[in-house]
Amino acid sequence: MSQIDRDTANTEPDAPGSPHMRRILHRESYSSRAGAAGLAAGLVIVLCVYALLESAVRVVGQPPWLIDPGTAAQRIIALPQGIPPLLLGASGGVIAMVGLFFLLNAVFPGRRARHLLQDPRVAVVVDDEVIASALARRARTAAGVSQEQVMVVVSKRLVVVNVRPTSGVRVSGDAISAAVREELAQMSPWPMPEVRVNLATSGVIGA
Amino acid sequence: MNGTPRIINRILLFILGVKVLAIGLLLVLLATVPAVADWWHGWSAGVWARAEETFKQTRFPGREESWLWLAAAAVLVALIIAMVAWVSQQGKGRANLLVSGEDNGDVDGDVRIGGGVAEQALKAALAERPDLASATVSTYEVGGRPGLRVRIQPRQGVAPHALAEDVSRLVEALDTVVGRRTPVLVHIVAGARAKFARAERVR
Repeated sequence: MSQIDRDTANTEPDAPGSPHMRRILHRESYSSRAGAAGLAAGLVIVLCVYALLESAVRVVGQPPWLIDPGTAAQRIIALPQGIPPLLLGASGGVIAMVGLFFLLNAVFPGRRARHLLQDPRVAVVVDDEVIASALARRARTAAGVSQEQVMVVVSKRLVVVNVRPTSGVRVSGDAISAAVREELAQMSPWPMPEVRVNLATSGVIGA
Repeated sequence: MNGTPRIINRILLFILGVKVLAIGLLLVLLATVPAVADWWHGWSAGVWARAEETFKQTRFPGREESWLWLAAAAVLVALIIAMVAWVSQQGKGRANLLVSGEDNGDVDGDVRIGGGVAEQALKAALAERPDLASATVSTYEVGGRPGLRVRIQPRQGVAPHALAEDVSRLVEALDTVVGRRTPVLVHIVAGARAKFARAERVR
């Protein structure tokens, strides 16, 4: 077994810092837009199949299925007439929205809500929700409150910890902040976010 | 980690988005601005007249219909095939072999190790853990090289770095078994199942 390509096994071309792995991690951090692509292709296919049906019917000289292409063209040319302006404007708005959806999907970078973790052997990508849930657990034990009283929101560069203390029980924001910071330091996600702790002014009764 | 053609996706989505947006805006303008309606009547009627003229010139000899309809049908079929090809490119890149190399020992022959070996081993090692809601392992080919993708879904509150460390140790053990280091991506996901399940209180 040790005789299989010993050279390549020892040069470690696939360590997390290698260009190959970095490319994989980059691809994992951004959306591939596969869903939007599938929707777009489906839309084009449906339109094409309908147009194909009508033109095939026309070629063999049969009556049209829904509308004859010539009649359709006449109606489109006459457009503001023959249809209530409200309906025309509304359908135009809907079509424009669909177009805007595809356009923005293509133009925006499509960053996913994920962070990278350091590891000597494997490349690790973590959804922000997982980080938030781990930090919430830590904040909850540090504050001594129940699960429902802590809400953590993780974004690219900021972690916001919202704590609603139990009424009559003093909660130290600094202690929560220190605990969350310590957990984050152990986790060391990249990019490393800042921590902000918000203590609600009104407490929860009977928690 | 899969071979989805991202640049093609962006370009095609951009083209389609611009076109659909333009059609929608045109309809809105037609409904609201009378000047646009006037311009539209003149322009589109001219285009349609020219189109009818070409249809008349391209009739089948001895028949009423134009062969342009046939050409249009062919273009549509080509477009449909292109769209199906585009969709089939999404998420491709699954591989079967984890290792495929020459054994330069005394025995003749090649060495092939299927991806199922690593998939089954890692899955079995992760299946027993109480802090995971699910774990899936699959083999992908990235840039011509096989790689493993480990997708684990922890229960609420589980520290991701501790999980990553454990998986890293498992992968190192796998390395010694397989005899070669393959690139491994660990994706720790949050899913609906983890959200609604009870929190992990022991760890």
